[in-house]
Amino acid sequence: MLKNHNFIERSIMGALSFFKESIFAEECASQKGFLQSLDPRIKAITFILFILQILFTKDIIVLLCIYAACLLLAKLSKIDLGFFLKRTWVFIPLFSLFIAVPAIFSIFTPGAALITWRVGGITIIITRQGLEAATLFVMRVITSVSFAVLLSITTKHFALLKVLRLFKIPQIFVMTLGMCYRYVYLFIEVIENTYLAIKSRVGIRMSPQRGRHIVASNIAGLWQRSYQLNKDVYKAMLSRGYSGEPLILDDFKTTLIDWLWLFAVLVVNATLLYLRYRTA
Amino acid sequence: MDDTIYELKDVCFSYLGRFPALRDINMNIAKGQKITIIGANGSGKSTLLQMLDGLIFPDKGCIKAFGKELKEEIFRDDGFSRDFRQRLGFVFQNPDIQLFCPSVKEDLVFGPLQLGVEKKEIAKRLEEVLSILLIEHLLDRSPHQLSVGEKRKVAIASILMINPDVLIFDEPTAGLDPLTTRHIIDLLIQKNEAGKTIITSTHDLHIVEEISDIVYVFSQEKKIVGFGPPDKILNDAALLKTNNLVHIHSHRHKDKIHIHPHLHLDHHTEG
Repeated sequence: MLKNHNFIERSIMGALSFFKESIFAEECASQKGFLQSLDPRIKAITFILFILQILFTKDIIVLLCIYAACLLLAKLSKIDLGFFLKRTWVFIPLFSLFIAVPAIFSIFTPGAALITWRVGGITIIITRQGLEAATLFVMRVITSVSFAVLLSITTKHFALLKVLRLFKIPQIFVMTLGMCYRYVYLFIEVIENTYLAIKSRVGIRMSPQRGRHIVASNIAGLWQRSYQLNKDVYKAMLSRGYSGEPLILDDFKTTLIDWLWLFAVLVVNATLLYLRYRTA
Repeated sequence: MDDTIYELKDVCFSYLGRFPALRDINMNIAKGQKITIIGANGSGKSTLLQMLDGLIFPDKGCIKAFGKELKEEIFRDDGFSRDFRQRLGFVFQNPDIQLFCPSVKEDLVFGPLQLGVEKKEIAKRLEEVLSILLIEHLLDRSPHQLSVGEKRKVAIASILMINPDVLIFDEPTAGLDPLTTRHIIDLLIQKNEAGKTIITSTHDLHIVEEISDIVYVFSQEKKIVGFGPPDKILNDAALLKTNNLVHIHSHRHKDKIHIHPHLHLDHHTEG
């Protein structure tokens, strides 16, 4: 059960290291780059504007330009492009490629034939319209995901949570999310340490039945701990004056760069809107 | 007596009504005093501190703070609750419990914000507290990125931000390196000299003399088995030994093996 490199070990350690690296590392957010210097609220608003633009654009060239701008922003923010591309392209096959591929065939998108095959008496046709629609769809996903990933890796997560207040999300909800973020890491460490403690005591061989028993009891143990923690944290909140309506510090500060950036993004978006209106 | 902050009379408490945690506790704490509660693990120290902070309430007996009896109902009065929380700061034993916000800065300002302190005043206190505890560089970090010592300092800072009259510390030096321990003890003494009442629970006898005017000894039976000035208590080897606070220890001085109850307090003059 607990042999080296077995399924459970790989799953537990893999999931935990993914969480730690992707959610808690915040290495990119700590760099002194362009996007990191912006007020998270302005950054979030401008990125939402970009994503809306991506959703409504039907021109692949415009999409390619926006994607190029996204890569340029990543570079200006001292993000390693290799890392950034890997992070964003991981999602593409998952969310778009498998959905987009059938659309290129004439069965789903009729139109002018681009390539035709005959396989066992069946004619398979890839249409120009189908290929264009699929490319547009994939480009939209790539560009939107890239902006979303860029926003999340260049902003500290607790600041991102506070940005939610912009959208009139109640303070209690923002605070609860913040506490989840805080304590998920603690429990990841507990799971890691528990796993290592089991491994150090039982060695690497164990019957599957015993292994399942240990995993189940640890899940129960973790639940107990989280329940106890919940009670203790509530006491700690009460002790510092919490009375049911939390107040969160709003310490965002805008600078001239933020306003210039917002102005530039608005100009770009307005121009794209105008161009779309003219060509429509 | 005007200076009395706490009066405890025959206080008893049990968890789930079955597991006794405190038995017949009688205690008076005056303004500006340094009180230390010592006792082995499980002797009820943390339970008592939570009770002093109005987080749990006695099953029997009476606890009065600032002249008012502490009962669950009284905390439903927002005015009283706010005033009480402003006058009292409790540093929990486990800093992971105390630091529940996603960043150090948010944790530091949480208390004053809930208590309605003006933003200008919060900024002023923040600057002061950061310089006292030398934790300015930690401000934008998440609590999970801190070491144990740093977490402890931030937890203390989060309480100092409230600027309470009474500071309650639950095992403030547990698991800390000697330098951080020293820093925290110096801070406690400094705050007491500034007029704050300091209540500390510990089983670290090294620090007791410095941080106490009166020491209370708790037994495994969850009772007070002795109290008095620190020199009297620390010299009562039988009392400390019975309550698991000292142990028989042997060590070597040059070529001599030395066996004695170990207090970590005395320096040996013989070579």
